Amino acid sequence: MPDMVPMSVAQPQERQFNPYSDNGGTILAVAGANFSVIAGDTRQSEGYSIQTRYAPKVFRLTDKAVLAVNGFAADGNMFVKKVKQRLEWYRHAHSKDMPLRAVARLIQSMLYARRFFPYYVYNILGGIEEDGSGAVYSFDPVGSYEREACRAAGAASSLVQPFLDNQIYFKNQTPAPGTSHPAHLALTDVLALVIDSFTSATERHIEVGDGLEMYVVLAKGSPLQGLELVQGVQEMSTTTDGERVFIVRRNLKRD
Amino acid sequence: MFLTRSEYDRGVNTFSPEGRLFQVEYAIEAIKLGSTTIGVRTPEGVVLGVEQRVQSPLLEASSIEKIMEIDRHLGCAMSGLTADARTMIDHARVTSQNHAFTYDEKIKVESVTQAVCDLALRFGESVHDEEAMMSRPFGVALLIAGYDELGPQLYHTDPSGTSVRYDAKAIGSGSEAAQSELQDKWHKQMTLQEARTLTLRVLKQVMEEKLDHHNVQLAQVTPANGFEILDEAALKSTIQLM
Amino acid sequence: MASSSVYSSPGFDFSNQLRNNFLSEKGLPLPKATSTGTTIVGCLFEDGIVLGADTRATEGPIVADKNCEKIHYISESIRCCGAGTAADTEFTTALISSNIELHALHTGRKPRVVTAMTMLKQMLFQYQGHIGAALVLGGVDATGPNLFTIHPHGSTDKLPYVTMGSGSLAAMAVFESSWRPNMSRDEALTLVKHAISAGIFNDLGSGSNVDACIITATHTEMLRNVEMPNQRVEKEKKYGFRRGTTAWKRETVKSLIVEEEITHVLGEAMDTT
Repeated sequence: MPDMVPMSVAQPQERQFNPYSDNGGTILAVAGANFSVIAGDTRQSEGYSIQTRYAPKVFRLTDKAVLAVNGFAADGNMFVKKVKQRLEWYRHAHSKDMPLRAVARLIQSMLYARRFFPYYVYNILGGIEEDGSGAVYSFDPVGSYEREACRAAGAASSLVQPFLDNQIYFKNQTPAPGTSHPAHLALTDVLALVIDSFTSATERHIEVGDGLEMYVVLAKGSPLQGLELVQGVQEMSTTTDGERVFIVRRNLKRD
Repeated sequence: MFLTRSEYDRGVNTFSPEGRLFQVEYAIEAIKLGSTTIGVRTPEGVVLGVEQRVQSPLLEASSIEKIMEIDRHLGCAMSGLTADARTMIDHARVTSQNHAFTYDEKIKVESVTQAVCDLALRFGESVHDEEAMMSRPFGVALLIAGYDELGPQLYHTDPSGTSVRYDAKAIGSGSEAAQSELQDKWHKQMTLQEARTLTLRVLKQVMEEKLDHHNVQLAQVTPANGFEILDEAALKSTIQLM
Repeated sequence: MASSSVYSSPGFDFSNQLRNNFLSEKGLPLPKATSTGTTIVGCLFEDGIVLGADTRATEGPIVADKNCEKIHYISESIRCCGAGTAADTEFTTALISSNIELHALHTGRKPRVVTAMTMLKQMLFQYQGHIGAALVLGGVDATGPNLFTIHPHGSTDKLPYVTMGSGSLAAMAVFESSWRPNMSRDEALTLVKHAISAGIFNDLGSGSNVDACIITATHTEMLRNVEMPNQRVEKEKKYGFRRGTTAWKRETVKSLIVEEEITHVLGEAMDTT
């Protein structure tokens, strides 16, 4: 072939370093009337390998704010660290815990600050607003955010979100004649839906499994709403007279 | 008065052997030359009042700006070298906007006051060979009035960067007499209307000229309407009530 | 006049290749084939071969089949585990199974493992790796127990213990630490179960259950789901839907009963005797 270039002639070569990777896993959060549930599985993987069966993706920021981070684990951990630092600075500067909507806006600012070298993470912030209502804020990697009643993100989000849409927003469900769907679900119902979301995602998504961590944030002065009967529930809050944070752990399949 | 203090009153960052910073003390003295300014806090809101010295009949009284808005929920009255206050209020405004931008909430009165005090202490600050950004302390005191989740609050700042919260405070030339009068008349359950008249009464007592709507200015910060400078009609009716 | 031909040449049809290359260049990628992410193994023991496989089939990160069969039938005493593109492993083993049967009938002898191996590697080599089948072929014939691996490009290995698929490293780690020559049947089966389990739990491409197949000179035992360590847990809630949940816009009832009017014609009935 006349147009073939001999191998000895140097050709321009392009190489690229990719600083990002995808560590799988899934997170979700649901807001109730006076509580919020934020959950994530604990598997961290790369390709077909499990890096660890226990890498938390959900973090207590304050007694009223819990942050779930999913995507590139190194970025996620660093991001949470920086948010916690900003929260501490705020506490010193303004002598109070940052309100949830302020945390949400702060996260937007921090994400957008890295508009052209983003943190490769999806964030879901859950907790209690100043008015005592349960709230969920979801973010994209560069800081677009929105307050919602529920949100799933990460590897199995396309499996879980339609389920939540159907079970929480009652999408595609016509109420029985003369009745209407409830605006908010009870805490025990939400916990059951969250557990079922994760056991189902584990069945059909290879990157989901090993363990499940569910954080429950209760509004100030709210009753335990059946949380006291949930097996293995553990309190994480620093005081019992403000908002309270609890954690519930469950095992997921390990295959 | 300060004849014995030679040498140690030159540098802004040199302590005297007795442990004093004379330039800062002189700056505080400068405030006592300023017009009287009063702030009164009530459970309903905070009232700010200033005397505007109209030195000439040709002077447009409305161009004397001694009460300024920092944000919707924050106002500020000044006494002393009012030109210096512009720098400080600019800083307070930027701080407040930045806070709202980053946190989607109103900044606290204490926090914005602290930010202003941080700025007040920047004099004499320089990175080794660089020229200092600020060559002397500010010659102005501020009364910062505002409303936040802790209720209506009134703060006083001076050139030393100290901030103190007050129920009622007077600064400027007539401050001594005014402050003792405030101490007598202020009470916990004061209404906003009472605060407005008290402010005017105290100003009237310490002013050389006869008080009218040309030579005083009133402003208030309330939860409902935030910061507002009283317009001529409102001011006139308050003077009437007094 | 020449009419359009209905003749199609044997083998693969490449007539859409030009079109498909064009489409994928324009950003319409080809549909993704189901792949068996897979752990498959085989090992020799004192009187035969044990083959093992997991049962997960994947489509990217999604589990397509939680209990598929990856140990394929070649002949009574020859079986073949498949990893790679599911369709390729299924079709290739089925084709070779047919040809082995024909070969056995033709020769009047029991088929040999090398024969199947040669047929497989020749086919895979012919297709230059485009048939994505990675196989573990094992069986017992006149020459004794035989165990091979066959790679998608047609290369083969003959070894006493082998693993393939995405879980091959996890499984091989088990073999390397515990395989010994001349193990008993039970020992070999336990070892294979361990090797597959290593793949199931440590490789995301493998999962669900363990299948095994023990082949000796006299008998072949297919142990389907010999271990089931990943049973689905019970749901917290019941997800039944009330009748009338799904909204509808229009209702049409169509009668499927064909009504026919029968008129009796007067006169004598037809003689049906």
